[in-house]
Amino acid sequence: MDLMHHSSTFLLPTIPLHHRPSLTYALVVLNQTLPRFAPLLWKHAQLRLCADGGANRVFDEMPLLFPEEDASDVRRRYKPDVINGDMDSIRKEVLDFYRSLGTKIIDKSHDQDTTDLHKCITYIWDFAPDANKSSLCILVAGALGGRYDHEMGNLNVLYCFSSLRIVLLSDDSLIYLLPRTHHHEIHIQTSVEGPHCGLIPIGVPSRSSTTTGLQWNLNDSIPDYSFLLSLAAKL
Amino acid sequence: MDLMHHSSTFLLPTIPLHHRPSLTYALVVLNQTLPRFAPLLWKHAQLRLCADGGANRVFDEMPLLFPEEDASDVRRRYKPDVINGDMDSIRKEVLDFYRSLGTKIIDKSHDQDTTDLHKCITYIWDFAPDANKSSLCILVAGALGGRYDHEMGNLNVLYCFSSLRIVLLSDDSLIYLLPRTHHHEIHIQTSVEGPHCGLIPIGVPSRSSTTTGLQWNLNNTEMRFGGLISSSNIVVGEKVTVQSDTDLLWTISIKKL
Repeated sequence: MDLMHHSSTFLLPTIPLHHRPSLTYALVVLNQTLPRFAPLLWKHAQLRLCADGGANRVFDEMPLLFPEEDASDVRRRYKPDVINGDMDSIRKEVLDFYRSLGTKIIDKSHDQDTTDLHKCITYIWDFAPDANKSSLCILVAGALGGRYDHEMGNLNVLYCFSSLRIVLLSDDSLIYLLPRTHHHEIHIQTSVEGPHCGLIPIGVPSRSSTTTGLQWNLNDSIPDYSFLLSLAAKL
Repeated sequence: MDLMHHSSTFLLPTIPLHHRPSLTYALVVLNQTLPRFAPLLWKHAQLRLCADGGANRVFDEMPLLFPEEDASDVRRRYKPDVINGDMDSIRKEVLDFYRSLGTKIIDKSHDQDTTDLHKCITYIWDFAPDANKSSLCILVAGALGGRYDHEMGNLNVLYCFSSLRIVLLSDDSLIYLLPRTHHHEIHIQTSVEGPHCGLIPIGVPSRSSTTTGLQWNLNNTEMRFGGLISSSNIVVGEKVTVQSDTDLLWTISIKKL
């Protein structure tokens, strides 16, 4: 079974040059209060999307993270590449503002079968060349907390796209899937995350899992099912 | 298969006299910001527990919900019956304050195998006479949001005590288990909850679930993580029915009034 490496380098001010694995980041902003490290995620990402009302959040709250700067300057600087979703939350003034700056607007209001996050991940999946998919990592800000059915819908997206690296983030925690198809090495960035963590079998019970490096390790044989890894964000 | 009734009457200012089912409420407060309706839950509950640092929250934040009153008066009025947990979060001044008022302090710091919520539920389970367990409903404030591993641990408690009615609450949502052993009727209190809702198969995929009363009903529908789960659904009207081959999690949004 192949080894899969994980590391929360996207929470570091600078990503080390020879860091492994070498990943390309995309950022999706959902309609919740921006985490305090949102500008950092924005900086690391090569593609920045807002899922519907996530655009309201960037418009309203990015300037608040730079109180010493002019709000208009901050808004121009933090211009999403794409706004995607069913458009039932984004304010008209926000939509017009980003459209006038050249943001691509993808109106999926006819599609009521998938969540706005699902639409954004699908867009990134279609957008990224196949050769690059394994080195892609999608960061989702505002994915936890708020309405619980939304949070569960976001969680489900991890499982629907289990071959993509997707990290759900809030101010307090980050979570991502550890697919059963691999052994996993998680390199802890102790300056920004931990020590609180968890391994959660969502969706299917796990007959057997084994860990090292935890205060209370699991000790059985080969993991059978995909786990959700939860790490507390320390910033 | 028996019918099980559910209703969020604990969110109403007054619980109707002949309301069915007739339940006895217990409240557990966890270490997160108190929901704005915490005083309402406190009023309906006959037993009030704080799980460790939940006591800090009651001490610090109950007065903030009554800004026109004297903080000491509010603190005396909102005195928990029990503080239970491993005591690694509660502040000494808070512990001393409630101890001096007669709150029962249960120090479980030796027990690192269960969460503070688990300890509180166990206490309530042991405390309640067997005859009353089916009419007991445990409300847990501050159960969602914050650290994700905590949230998952809280969720697991619903499954560990699946024969007890336990409702996890935040400012935005409430969730509880619909055990597979029953058909379910959920009576929607439209003045305080909805319309956003969901049915989530946590822990096991569901081969077949059927509902009425939702905008997108299930009809012997399969649900699983990685496939379909019922999120972003909408309640239509005042009654939802659910039956399923597995335990399902029901969630509904709480109105911001």
